[in-house]
Amino acid sequence: MPLNPNRPTPGQPREYHFPPFSHRTLDNGLTVWAVPLPGRAVVSVSLVVDGGAATETEAQGGVAALAAQSLVTGTQRLDANDFAIASERLGIEIGADSAWDSARAGFSALGARLEEGLGLLGEMVRQPRFDDEEFTRLREERLADIMQARSEPGRLADEQYLAQLFGSDSPYGRLSAGTPETVEPLTVSDARAHHARTWGPAGGHLVLAGPVEIERAFRLAEKEFGSWTGGGAGHRSFAVEREPRRRVVLYDRPGSVQSEIRVGEIGIARTDPNYFPAVVMAGVLGGTFSSRLNQRLREELGYTYGARAGFDPRRSRGPMVSRAAVQTEVSAASVTELLAVLEGMRAAPPADGELADVRDYMVGVFPLRFETTGGVAGAIEPIAVYELATDWWATYRDRIESVTPEHVHDSARELIHPDSALILLVGDAATVEPALVEAGLGPIEVISAD
Amino acid sequence: MGHLAFERHRLDNGLRVVLAPDSAAPIVAVNLWYDVGSRNERPGRTGFAHLFEHMMFQGTASVAKGEHFATVQAAGGTLNASTWCDRTNYFETLPSHELETGLWLEADRMANLLPAMTLEKLDNQRDVVKNERRSSMDNQPYGSWDERIQAAIFPVGHPYHHSTIGSMEDLSAASLDDVKEFFATYYAPNNAVLSLAGDFEPGSALAAIERHFGPLTPNGALPPAPDGALPDRLGGEVRDTVPDAVELPRVYLAYRIPPYGTDEFLPFELASDLLATGRASRLYARLVREQRLAQDIGASVFPFAHGAAVLMAHATARPDLDIEILEAALAAEIEDLATNGPTDDELERVRTLHASTIERGLEEVAERADRLSQYTCLFDQPERINTEVGDYDRVSAEAIREALRDQLGPDNRYVLTFVPNGEDLADEEED
Repeated sequence: MPLNPNRPTPGQPREYHFPPFSHRTLDNGLTVWAVPLPGRAVVSVSLVVDGGAATETEAQGGVAALAAQSLVTGTQRLDANDFAIASERLGIEIGADSAWDSARAGFSALGARLEEGLGLLGEMVRQPRFDDEEFTRLREERLADIMQARSEPGRLADEQYLAQLFGSDSPYGRLSAGTPETVEPLTVSDARAHHARTWGPAGGHLVLAGPVEIERAFRLAEKEFGSWTGGGAGHRSFAVEREPRRRVVLYDRPGSVQSEIRVGEIGIARTDPNYFPAVVMAGVLGGTFSSRLNQRLREELGYTYGARAGFDPRRSRGPMVSRAAVQTEVSAASVTELLAVLEGMRAAPPADGELADVRDYMVGVFPLRFETTGGVAGAIEPIAVYELATDWWATYRDRIESVTPEHVHDSARELIHPDSALILLVGDAATVEPALVEAGLGPIEVISAD
Repeated sequence: MGHLAFERHRLDNGLRVVLAPDSAAPIVAVNLWYDVGSRNERPGRTGFAHLFEHMMFQGTASVAKGEHFATVQAAGGTLNASTWCDRTNYFETLPSHELETGLWLEADRMANLLPAMTLEKLDNQRDVVKNERRSSMDNQPYGSWDERIQAAIFPVGHPYHHSTIGSMEDLSAASLDDVKEFFATYYAPNNAVLSLAGDFEPGSALAAIERHFGPLTPNGALPPAPDGALPDRLGGEVRDTVPDAVELPRVYLAYRIPPYGTDEFLPFELASDLLATGRASRLYARLVREQRLAQDIGASVFPFAHGAAVLMAHATARPDLDIEILEAALAAEIEDLATNGPTDDELERVRTLHASTIERGLEEVAERADRLSQYTCLFDQPERINTEVGDYDRVSAEAIREALRDQLGPDNRYVLTFVPNGEDLADEEED
């Protein structure tokens, strides 16, 4: 690209480091991570336990999510409404949720509210109410939410992509919040039992980031959580396998004016030794506005409002996906173009300049990612959950910088296989199917909505 | 509540500048508000202000197509833009040593957009924007809700009657001449506000701003703002029932209210928080938790600054619930708040939540810069960034009760109901 002669020369970067932090494990097994950020107005707190969907049995899929959501519906002392009032009077909205590899609860608040907020958080996870009526309400809401997803093309495509990619044999073939069949029979006793097994200090982590000194953070943690017991039931490990075979699956949504496209295969685990080449490779492919997929499908062809690609690394190998919502009439052409972009990643290493732009972005944006106390606390969580090295962020930029064009090429050849990828579309089958056939993509499996 | 220090300047060409230095982190936000939005569009060109915003990323006489995004990202920055009825804003957050790169890019496209403009670029972004409309509205359940509310609350011909995304027909009709005329009319330094927040030294930043933006030519003939004046209420109840590709029925109640920026607007902003912010809010506590009628609820304002604004509340029915029961329950909650007003405890709760939300938002330099631009562009009062929490807190329970009682009656209500495709036919047969 030509440089404009008037373009200013950047000044000297100010040195920036990820904020220093300390961690200490209490006698009961809870590890406390303190990130002092003096002068900040806001403090962020998150409590992370090994209580995600990977700790469920398949028959109880969704119990982890419902157990977490139940926590905010009250404590033994406070019913659902009084608990909401108590926290909102502090300017706090306490949240709790669960994903595959962890469950978490937390809040962000003005610094002066830290002690009171921590008190409520402790009461919530240590003496939850597990009210039967509230649990039933949450379960019914979840079932209705699953039903609503049938009419939302983006969510429908995400669900169908996982189901078709991993199949019914793998837990990852569903959303972590469960399916109608597994959610329907769940009771408040199941949620209570899940909480008792997994929500506890053993293997748990408490992260505090904000205007709080290290020793005070440890002292507050000890006061609220030092006598907590339980947890540590452990999670399952999955072997995820997929037969390497091209499939084209079209989920019919009659009348759709766009098709939601998902193309990909099984990707990497969070602790993959080639994590850095893989995420830089995904950046070149579809990580930014300037990435290959977005440039081709949006800025050259105008087929879509945006195209992206990326990994969802988990404890076991999670999905990799390239995605776009495209005008119905160009659905087949979009798939063909998308596959060509994927082939291009395998065909040759990226040009030096293209790779440098991606690395420069990932390195340069580093201080922006940790601007808020919530951003800092969120950055500690993967270190805790996946047992990454504590110098993860200290070495992050160097490890990005060290990724070469050859590393990216190797990563693409290892992880991208257009010939055997799953191609999934949610769209108007009457229009899209004939075009897919004509494009010569192979046999089309059509799933009708009912 | 913290106090944000800032300074104001105005270049000779009319560009308003607000500087809010803070060296906590080595990052800086650059934010430009242009005083133009979909309210300025002429008949037959709905959606054009937003389509034009896309064209501002398509390169200039000195920056190639794609280079604007690529330059900011390679500098380690994030960027975007957005268009709404009352404005178009452009913004990037950068490592602070790249501040001047951001200033240069913004000044360059304010000056040099047209020589690089082509029909090919316009056609490309026309397709992108049509796909944006499909993604956000036409292919989404309930997707037309805001377009329908604007169309019902504001009469035909009013600047807020049509949606910012615009119609497919009008997008198709947009021409290169439209691009040239729009640019020449509205993209001038005397129609814009530039705000910086974060790590910079004000003296040298102002010098750099002068260097890049100072030579730009003002538009000596800015057109007068469109007339947004209209009666303060609808004058009746308007109802629409819309069959859509949805699983569950949903009802919206929307009301015309005094414009954003006036003291009279504030009670309605508080009302939306009392109704739907947090799990102790009235709609959540009663419709979702206690009565179990609603799958989800919400309430919000469209803070339009010219003529009138909008307050709306919605609820989605639980499976198998008659939507008329939900509509009655939703209306009853609003009626109760308008008749009896909030309790002191409720008021204290929403005030604390509001202050905390504002403070958390202002953690980000991008949010500080955007609010400074907003208050300067709309009201010429950047100091509102430091007074808005106090203004909110001063609204009394009695003031809320009176305002709601006067304004939220059935003579000023739009009821919009979405029902699953097919169910409307059954209703007609019953009638």
